[in-house]
Amino acid sequence: MFDHSEPTTPSSTSTPTSEHAPSISLDSLSKTKSAVESLSSILSSFPSNLSFSISSSNLNPAFSLLHDPQVASQVSSLLREPNSGAGDNNLCRWLYDTFQSGDPNLQLVVLRFLPIIVGIYLSRVALRKPLAGFEAILLALYAHETTSRAGQPITMNVPNLSLPSVYHEAKAPINNSTELNLAVISPSLEPHGTVRSTRRARIVGVALELYHSKIYHMPVGSKIDFCDFCVVWAGQDNNDDDRDLNKESESNGRKEGRIQLPWELLQPVLRILGHCLMGNTKNKELFDAAWAACNSLYARSMHDINPKALLATGSLLKLGKKAMEPSEDLDPTEIRKSNVLVI
Amino acid sequence: MELWGDHSDVESDSEWVRKVSANGVSMKTTEVEAKLDQGNIQEAEASLREGLSLNFEEARSLLGKLEYQRGNVEGALRVFEGIDLQAAIQRLQPSLAEKPSSRRGRFRTESVHAVSQHAASLVLEAIYLKAKSLQKLGRVSEAAHECKSVLDAVEKIFYQGILDVQVDNKLQEIVTQAVELLPDLWKQAGFYHEAIAAYRRALLSQWNLDNDCCARIQKGYAVLLLYGGVEAGPPSLAVQIDGSYVPKNNLEEAILLLMILMRKFILGKTQWDPSVMDHLTFALSVCSQTPVLAKQLEEIMPGVYHRVDRWNSLALCYSGAGQNKAALNLLRKSLHKHERPDDIIALLLAAKICSEDSHLAAEGVGYARRAINLAQGIDEHLKGVGLRTLGLCLGKQTKVSSSDFERSHLQSEALTSLEGAIPLEPNNTDLIFELGVQYAEHRNLTAALRCAKQFIDETGGSILKGWRFLALVLSAQQRFSEAEVVTDAALDETAKWDQGPLLRLKAKLKFSQSLHMDAIETYRYLLALVQAQRKSFGPPRIQAVDDKVNEFEIWHGLAKLYSSLSHWKDAEICLGKARELKQYSVEALHTEVDKNASVHSVMDRQLDGEGFFHGGVIFEGRGQFQEAFAAYNNALLLEPCHVPCKILISALLSKRGLKALPVARSLLSDALRIDPTNRMAWYYLGMVHKDDGRKADAADCFQAASMLEESDPIESFDSIL
Repeated sequence: MFDHSEPTTPSSTSTPTSEHAPSISLDSLSKTKSAVESLSSILSSFPSNLSFSISSSNLNPAFSLLHDPQVASQVSSLLREPNSGAGDNNLCRWLYDTFQSGDPNLQLVVLRFLPIIVGIYLSRVALRKPLAGFEAILLALYAHETTSRAGQPITMNVPNLSLPSVYHEAKAPINNSTELNLAVISPSLEPHGTVRSTRRARIVGVALELYHSKIYHMPVGSKIDFCDFCVVWAGQDNNDDDRDLNKESESNGRKEGRIQLPWELLQPVLRILGHCLMGNTKNKELFDAAWAACNSLYARSMHDINPKALLATGSLLKLGKKAMEPSEDLDPTEIRKSNVLVI
Repeated sequence: MELWGDHSDVESDSEWVRKVSANGVSMKTTEVEAKLDQGNIQEAEASLREGLSLNFEEARSLLGKLEYQRGNVEGALRVFEGIDLQAAIQRLQPSLAEKPSSRRGRFRTESVHAVSQHAASLVLEAIYLKAKSLQKLGRVSEAAHECKSVLDAVEKIFYQGILDVQVDNKLQEIVTQAVELLPDLWKQAGFYHEAIAAYRRALLSQWNLDNDCCARIQKGYAVLLLYGGVEAGPPSLAVQIDGSYVPKNNLEEAILLLMILMRKFILGKTQWDPSVMDHLTFALSVCSQTPVLAKQLEEIMPGVYHRVDRWNSLALCYSGAGQNKAALNLLRKSLHKHERPDDIIALLLAAKICSEDSHLAAEGVGYARRAINLAQGIDEHLKGVGLRTLGLCLGKQTKVSSSDFERSHLQSEALTSLEGAIPLEPNNTDLIFELGVQYAEHRNLTAALRCAKQFIDETGGSILKGWRFLALVLSAQQRFSEAEVVTDAALDETAKWDQGPLLRLKAKLKFSQSLHMDAIETYRYLLALVQAQRKSFGPPRIQAVDDKVNEFEIWHGLAKLYSSLSHWKDAEICLGKARELKQYSVEALHTEVDKNASVHSVMDRQLDGEGFFHGGVIFEGRGQFQEAFAAYNNALLLEPCHVPCKILISALLSKRGLKALPVARSLLSDALRIDPTNRMAWYYLGMVHKDDGRKADAADCFQAASMLEESDPIESFDSIL
């Protein structure tokens, strides 16, 4: 089977016209060039092939930047440094500027690091560390989403089988009472210039909604980062052996990372997790990370006695378990074996 | 022409000697296979053509199939690549395209049809097997292109779609397999947009698929929509029919497909597939549509799920939508001793639901205790949750306890449970908050303050109720200016529309500090906010339910403020405003026919009662005692548990002389039963005792009043839980 250890080539993406290399504009190229240059001044060692690739025949340098493992690991470890989120942090500034460049391919590079930014940020809020740098990035993402949605809520009409649809027939409704049930998936957005603490979860949640909408473009490493942080946020070890270890570490100080998970944050988290677990079960590493995250969040839902979260994580666990079992189903697309071949 | 070989033959034939057969002749393949093994495709082909009188294409196709079945996909691919399949398709089309216009006899048309179908299935099967070979070699996107050309060809040949009687079984089988394989190949190749297009093509065109195949395709598509991370967009206008439901986004489309699959199962058209329900559960709970999920669960016939599983799932669905009463009824059934009384999650959920209603709290205590006993082994980690819900239930139970003794007993038990949960639930900020509120109710304000601060620290101030709680604790400690600082800090951290409860708190804090003008100013601002909110969000709905401040409250607050300043005229105006709103809102509420009707009527009465109460205060202030008395009475009739009203009536009564004292006393005792920490009630009860000549009792009451004076919060603590 085809193993997606790395995402597919850009030709398979949603907007082939903008992704296909030849149509990348000069403007976009120069933006990418300056982004790469300023990043290389921040990172200790910048992969030479990347800086070279700008001038060479590399047709989509932002794409290379997005998928470069060396860049990813260096940026990730810088983001995890103790004072990484400060307002004067170079990397935060670079991420902010790069996102604000408005170039969609470069914005993907910033989104790639969103799991780490959000993960570190939320876990540090209680520690009173400077976080203005992280907040600037999150606010930029929030503002982007607010503008592109014009502040409008995301809604959906819950399907009702008594109305005919493109996929099924139904008798004409007897009366007009079979109205569609309107569900708000993400409420309307008001502009925020600063992160007010009571709006923090919403701002982060909206940034994660943006991440989810681009998740197809995200490298596997970014998704694994996300799953790992889910375990930290849940702050729940369902395993008895782990509990003893925790008790030891608790005596030294509280276990860091467990955060409040209001629905406005949990909902996008669950949707992303659904993708990580079920989007491509062939990638073992990602599947395992997502499986661990699901287990933690399910345990957390039990501790919070949160019915919606119990239903969502519980169903993911069942689906994940099924995906782990070897499939016994016959492949219906296989031709029937026969020892008499006929034409 | 013969179709597939006799399958019973296949089973019995232990030697697995392959045969090929065509044109009524059949031959063993041993010789042909030997040639193939030597790499002599041409010779193998020649012996087939000779032995079975086949043409080149037929022989090649048969060879390819043979190789494929032998598991030699590389060999099969080599053979198929030797046939110009596209040219073969080209040759098929025109002869068939003429067909509809031909006016030849019926018999002849059918025979032409049959021959063409044979040719078509020969070519299509060859392409299909080429695609399968490519797939097995990991060349998935090439496979997808081949597979797609099968479908393109079918669409060209049968441009009206495939109808039941039109094609023979073999052709139908190839078409069905290709339709199912194509989206899967695109998906494996990572071409999700092409996969989406292929799924839609499979589901929206006529392929005459059988139910199981169609169900598999629908499920595969729903899974891609739900988890693929690629937005499909609405289907093209061409397939949309007037008046039919057209899904706009992935979630809608996925949920629609999953619901259709559920329906098919219920109608017995397909096999039960539990994962369909799991996908639907995920999709609907993520968009908070758990009542819709409940409906789906209810439609499944008995026997698919164990009834207890179904009840418990339903309870989660209802509770997830806030329909706790329905959820609790289901849990009562499933926790019955003859069902599954030891389901710890069900017990915890039941206990949690009960902890929110003082009349159910005692029942909840039972569930929580059972859960704690069961929290062993792999469930040991839930012991803390059990203790926490137990503490909450006990705390709630104190609200309806009939005696002081019982109350204080419950209260200290509640505290013990919550404190016991703390080490088991480290870093659970909600628990810290709940413990703090319990301390506060117990008037242990130092401990409450510690919890409130810890809660704000650990949540980074992200939870509004944390700020309000801290301000209330400070106000109970009579540290009004500090409470105001906290409230201001909270206002800074809150978006405009959520500031209502904080502004109300601030107005009351100003009032407590006798900063009347500031209080009025704050109320004005609050009023403007609430009115703006009403304009931008439509008429006031059930505001009391969702943590918002309603306009009546503000007018009543202002009325209270003006009456304390003896500005009777202004106070009356405020009450008048409140009454006008009442008119408006009663109409608004009556048009809203829904399940919350009972909430509305309760609110109605409360607000009315409050109006009468404030009216009474004004009358009393003006010395119109008779009118005041009548107003208080009305207030009490509408709202029998209005504590301040009971106190003021008793105060009025006690001034009327000895005869009225017993009535006053019973009203005050009643008030204290409802609100045992009300210092005004203790004070007046002391006065009544004094007037009645019971000096010692009076002294006790006064002492209680003076102790409590220091610890009244400006809004009751349980208003924030």
